[in-house]
Amino acid sequence: MVNYVIRRLLLVPLILFGVTVLIFGMLQFLTPVERSALYVRDIPKNERALEGVIKQYGLDQPIPVQYWKWLVGTRDPHTGEIRGGILRGDFGYSRTASEPVADLIKRRFPATLELALWAVLPVVSGGVILGVIAAVNHNKPIDHIARIFAIVGWSFPDFVFGLLVLMFFYADLKWLPPGRVSDWANQVIMSPEFHNYTKLITLDALLNLRLDIFWDAVRHLILPVVTLSYLWWALQMRVTRSSMLETLRQDYITTARSKGLAEKVVIMRHALPNALMPVVTLGGSTVVGLLGGVVIVETVFDYHGMGLAFAAAAVQLDVITVLAFTLLNSLIMVVAYVIVDVLYAYIDPRVRLD
Amino acid sequence: MSAYEAQSSSEHLLEVKNLTTRFYTEDGVVYAVNGISYTMDEGDTLGVVGESGCGKSVHALSMMRLIPIPPGKIEAGEVLLRGRDLLKLSEEEMRHVRGAQLAMIFQDPMTSLNPVLTVGFQIMEALKLHQGMSDHEARARATELLEMVGIPEASLRLDDYPHQFSGGMRQRAMIAMGLSCNPMILIADEPTTALDVTIQAQIMDLVKRLRDKLGMAIIWITHDLGVVAGLAQRVNVMYAGSLIETGPVKEIYGNPHHPYTAGLLGSLPRPDDPPGTKLFSIKGEPPDLLGLPKGCPFAPRCTYAVERCFHEAPTLEPTEPGHLVACWEKERVEKIQ
Repeated sequence: MVNYVIRRLLLVPLILFGVTVLIFGMLQFLTPVERSALYVRDIPKNERALEGVIKQYGLDQPIPVQYWKWLVGTRDPHTGEIRGGILRGDFGYSRTASEPVADLIKRRFPATLELALWAVLPVVSGGVILGVIAAVNHNKPIDHIARIFAIVGWSFPDFVFGLLVLMFFYADLKWLPPGRVSDWANQVIMSPEFHNYTKLITLDALLNLRLDIFWDAVRHLILPVVTLSYLWWALQMRVTRSSMLETLRQDYITTARSKGLAEKVVIMRHALPNALMPVVTLGGSTVVGLLGGVVIVETVFDYHGMGLAFAAAAVQLDVITVLAFTLLNSLIMVVAYVIVDVLYAYIDPRVRLD
Repeated sequence: MSAYEAQSSSEHLLEVKNLTTRFYTEDGVVYAVNGISYTMDEGDTLGVVGESGCGKSVHALSMMRLIPIPPGKIEAGEVLLRGRDLLKLSEEEMRHVRGAQLAMIFQDPMTSLNPVLTVGFQIMEALKLHQGMSDHEARARATELLEMVGIPEASLRLDDYPHQFSGGMRQRAMIAMGLSCNPMILIADEPTTALDVTIQAQIMDLVKRLRDKLGMAIIWITHDLGVVAGLAQRVNVMYAGSLIETGPVKEIYGNPHHPYTAGLLGSLPRPDDPPGTKLFSIKGEPPDLLGLPKGCPFAPRCTYAVERCFHEAPTLEPTEPGHLVACWEKERVEKIQ
């Protein structure tokens, strides 16, 4: 098991190397002039000065040399200051956000993380748990209801669904607001008495014992979380249900019952671990899907996270920002799939050995 | 009920009366088990033979109350284990019978052990459940059981997963699991069918040895007549969900009265047949259990069938003591045999 995990972890840098090569390759489709934006905030209108920047940062040098410099950065010959270098965390300057991409990510990432973490809740409870309940009550009313909800979620595009719930719960009923927090709450959060331990507002509010702020943040989260997670819990529920139905037909389930085990034990101990394999597989895709989903959901609900910044950058062809986000998303995806692989091994002893 | 009657009803270890199981599927009603009755006593070994789909396994699963409901339904009958009707127990009471008094092992050892749990855990589970053993006690007993079924280095193998066991070892582990709580009856549903011939012989020897040592009764379900001959004292022959002949193994093999039993035995190859001898086979197919023919289910394939066989289903009638046959023409069959 430990060997297996170490082998998987050793693959991570290799995959990330591949990802950087790909992304760098994409960068090469840009002209040196465009690429110089990695290093300067305002592209000089003067062509001479531009040439100087290109020369200075070696944007006309052989591609492997440039790749190396892209990774570790270049030293400014005048000031001795190192600039760029994604390994140093310097992804360049975001034109659309008017700040370095690294700062943009630092500022926006917690909001998106908070949204995504809350979205895991319905995916697990609505997807996995409901899937098991539906399978155990095969063809009974609860199974039919779960399936109807799943089909609706599965076939509704998230931007349509998001707009509908926004119209209904915000515009008509005025129950749930868009944005991340209300203005009054924002003032409290900005005030020095409020400690931002994690930058996740719901968690910080609890740590500060401010239930009013927690409730305000939750109210803002409900619509985006529901929109973001609906498709994925619907998919999870379908996968869990069919996988569980399949598992319950296996011989070893009859064996377990023939031992006199209670049905609850048969389902939780004997069937569920076996049924979880495809669920875990889909878990990896769910992370990827949620990352894609935040772009739309944050835009629809004016939720200030990474997705919204990403959408703005993409619309204005802010290549530097888009590439940095792509790299970050790849990193998250690679980590997610490593977790999936480790979970496989944890659940199924047969995986651990090969 | 008088004291005598109370005793007489509990005098057999197992008494199956008119057991009837049907499956209500989308295609129609499947008549899987049609009113079978028999008895078993302590230490008996009963062979149940018949073709695939004749209801052998469903009859066993019905006794264990493990058929899926729906679509399955036990329509009628009684399964008296020491006089207690299992079909009338609550699910909770039945759970204490399963694995403890009535244990079952299955055909395919490759699929009947849970791949994600260790073999030891799966054996210890029943011990902890039925005998209230602690982890420590259960582990010691599981080691003993694995040693008893002939798995070397048993205490180490407890922590192995099923995929680390060979097919024969898995079936041994299944047998250890079945015997773990000293059941009164072990139901073995074709436990050697999926194994190599050499391994089959080993498993058979093991079961015989354990039976002599532990004295449990065995219901051995198989389509292999040779297996039954070497193991059982009595044989039940099933056809299309009905019990058509039952008797001591010597009687059934030496003096079959039902044309189907005679046909089955006739289709066995004999070592003294000259080379090139064609194997005998019973003409036709077993009936579709979706719509059983009226009368004797074997009549359409039977060379002895007369007019009556197609209208009226025969009931089990004794021919010799302990030998019962469901056939209208049994005298004629006997003469020709």
